[in-house]
Amino acid sequence: MEPELNAGAGSSNVGVLIVSLAANTQIIVRSCKLGEYGRKTCPLTWLVAVSCVLFPVFARAQANPASFDDIVLRAAAAREQDDVPQAIELYRQAVELKPDWPDGWWFLGSLQYQADAYAAARDALTHYLEITPDAGPASALRGLCEFETGEYAQSLKDIQRGLSLGAGSQPRNEKILRYHEALLLTRAGNFEAALQKYELFAGEKVPNPELLVGIGLAGLRTPLLPKELKADTQELFTAAGNAALRFMSGDRDGAQQAFQDLFQRFPAASNAHYLYGYLLFPTDPDQAITEFRKELEVSPGNAAAQLMVAWDALMRNDPSEALTYAQKAIAEEPALLIAQLVLGRALLDTGDVKGGIELLEKELQRDPGNLETHIALAKAYSKSGRKEDAQRERMRCLELEESEGTVVHP
Amino acid sequence: MYILSGLLSVILFAAMPVSSTGLPAPAQVRSSGPASACLSCHRAQAVAQPQTPMAQALMLPGTNPTVKANPKLTVRKGDYSYTVETHGDSTTYSVTDGVRTLSLPVRWSFGVGGQTWILERDGQLYESLVSYYPNVAGLDTTIGDERITPHTVDEAMGRKLTQGETKACFGCHASNAVHDRKLTLESMEPGVTCEHCHAGATAHVLDSLQGDFSSAPPKLGKLSSEDISSFCGQCHRTWESVVRGHFHGEINVRFQPYRLANSKCFDGTDPRISCLACHDPHQNVVREDSTYDTKCLACHGSSAQLASTRTGSAPAPAGAKSCPVSKSDCVSCHMPKVTLPGGHMKFTDHQIRVVKPGDGYPN
Repeated sequence: MEPELNAGAGSSNVGVLIVSLAANTQIIVRSCKLGEYGRKTCPLTWLVAVSCVLFPVFARAQANPASFDDIVLRAAAAREQDDVPQAIELYRQAVELKPDWPDGWWFLGSLQYQADAYAAARDALTHYLEITPDAGPASALRGLCEFETGEYAQSLKDIQRGLSLGAGSQPRNEKILRYHEALLLTRAGNFEAALQKYELFAGEKVPNPELLVGIGLAGLRTPLLPKELKADTQELFTAAGNAALRFMSGDRDGAQQAFQDLFQRFPAASNAHYLYGYLLFPTDPDQAITEFRKELEVSPGNAAAQLMVAWDALMRNDPSEALTYAQKAIAEEPALLIAQLVLGRALLDTGDVKGGIELLEKELQRDPGNLETHIALAKAYSKSGRKEDAQRERMRCLELEESEGTVVHP
Repeated sequence: MYILSGLLSVILFAAMPVSSTGLPAPAQVRSSGPASACLSCHRAQAVAQPQTPMAQALMLPGTNPTVKANPKLTVRKGDYSYTVETHGDSTTYSVTDGVRTLSLPVRWSFGVGGQTWILERDGQLYESLVSYYPNVAGLDTTIGDERITPHTVDEAMGRKLTQGETKACFGCHASNAVHDRKLTLESMEPGVTCEHCHAGATAHVLDSLQGDFSSAPPKLGKLSSEDISSFCGQCHRTWESVVRGHFHGEINVRFQPYRLANSKCFDGTDPRISCLACHDPHQNVVREDSTYDTKCLACHGSSAQLASTRTGSAPAPAGAKSCPVSKSDCVSCHMPKVTLPGGHMKFTDHQIRVVKPGDGYPN
């Protein structure tokens, strides 16, 4: 049965189709040589390969000029013979003849990705996305190319856009993309969000060493990629990642032991106690606070730990203590994410409603989907007599609450 | 955001420390003891409050009229039979599968009408898996524990409480039970005493004996509607704690501050919609619907009625729509009674609204 693949709307679904077909096709790809989630991993290469097997059939249905048809046929043949350089060259010629042929750009981009020609692949996929802007897998694949070319901010945007457009609908693809997303979030300093992404890997029986390092980097709040780490620090991050992954997997006893080992082996490591506290906080805030305070003994200026102590104080309705710690945290690290939320909430709860609203509204601009910011603003507006604004924020909270899990971290 | 289950309910249920600049909070200092210490100056409140359900939210063995009135309670749930038997001042909670029987003394009783028991075994506290419900005049599964399917007599006995839950339970049902984040049962006083809400009452009593009245606790009645909701919500659940806890459907009807804040008429700065506008926590809850008519008409009444609510030189408060159907028993329509799932009891829904036939329960 031949899938519909007309130009226009049909073409925009090309990537999705590839993903769904790939999931049901057994093809072994030669270049599977790196980690499970890393560059050139089996599933992704597999995906690209499947796309290359299937697309020539569809492509022929569209091309009319004889020379164009001929090129497409030869490109398909080259690709079937695993002659990637020749296939790339022929698809390049084909899109030169027909620059508005989306499938040609997709083949070219995916083959170039397979050939490690990331910049060229990125450009080909950019052409493809200009014609079919809502193609999630193409956006995700371009993000992976950008990851390789070092355009990290754009890579994160593209991967997240790809995910939002369904590129992660297959579990294996989701893991590849979430792993890269987490790496990029870590590198961007959004460690909490990165840790959340790594939860997808909870329960991995034999975790990939690179994955453990990635989790360790997020957990120890180190804005680097695994490849940027010095060799002599790998052990620390692996140990931290291992302990955190055990915790996320529900192995509390194993995690406790792993964290104790980590503390013993690396007593001066910054953020190790913070990481354990952060993970404990939702279910055992008392133990979490003990860990945050230990962290402050190791690193007295640790703004993240100060912020969590502040947040805990807010949850215990002790806004004075919260304000003290939030102000310390901001002084230490003014750009710390969510610091404005905690300080804004502390100001609100200590009676400075105007100051609180100012910070909270600013925080809302930075992160419009943060439930805690909306909760705080609902309260702030209510306290200041802005009834309609308060009701609007409450409604927004209920919408957000429906769509996400229980929240206790700011 | 990090995902978790149940944390916030635990945190916000726990006794709160004193805050110098924020909301007054349940006390962490030694309680003033029986309300008699406050009697000489606050007679009306000190006499009435100990009779309220809040004051009796936790009862010790020998002081529990419910089990005294029902000296032998039994129920069979699945493969297990439960007996709660009272002799004199001692109540014993037993569960058996017909082969093995486990009996434990009831250490503490939580609640006045409906009642759940706290048991102690090997230094660990458990919530009884069955509770007493006055509406069925007997035992049934403790609300929230319906999901538990016990496989042994030990599991059938009760649900092991986490440290956080224990602090939360005693933090609200008793006074002086939590200090420095730790459960301190040795200093605990049963039920909600003066100090529980009026932090600093003890110091105030001592200072007043010296003629110094400057240390009087803050007047809770002066808090805004929003703040008093947060204050009462420390035990009755705040709006935000219910949101974080994902309490959907009729189970949230018992969280009045949440329901009230969802009302279209809720205004955090208008005292006419505050918890204290309708309820005096020193008195038993008034059950007659008509009692609350004046509260509703303070906003939804005629101009003359609104003018009568004027205080001093303040302008009459803004009015709201008048009810075209009736001017009495407002709450009977606009605050319907809702059955709490699994609770064998009804609660007044504090989400004030126009209820139309066929309307579902609004979250």
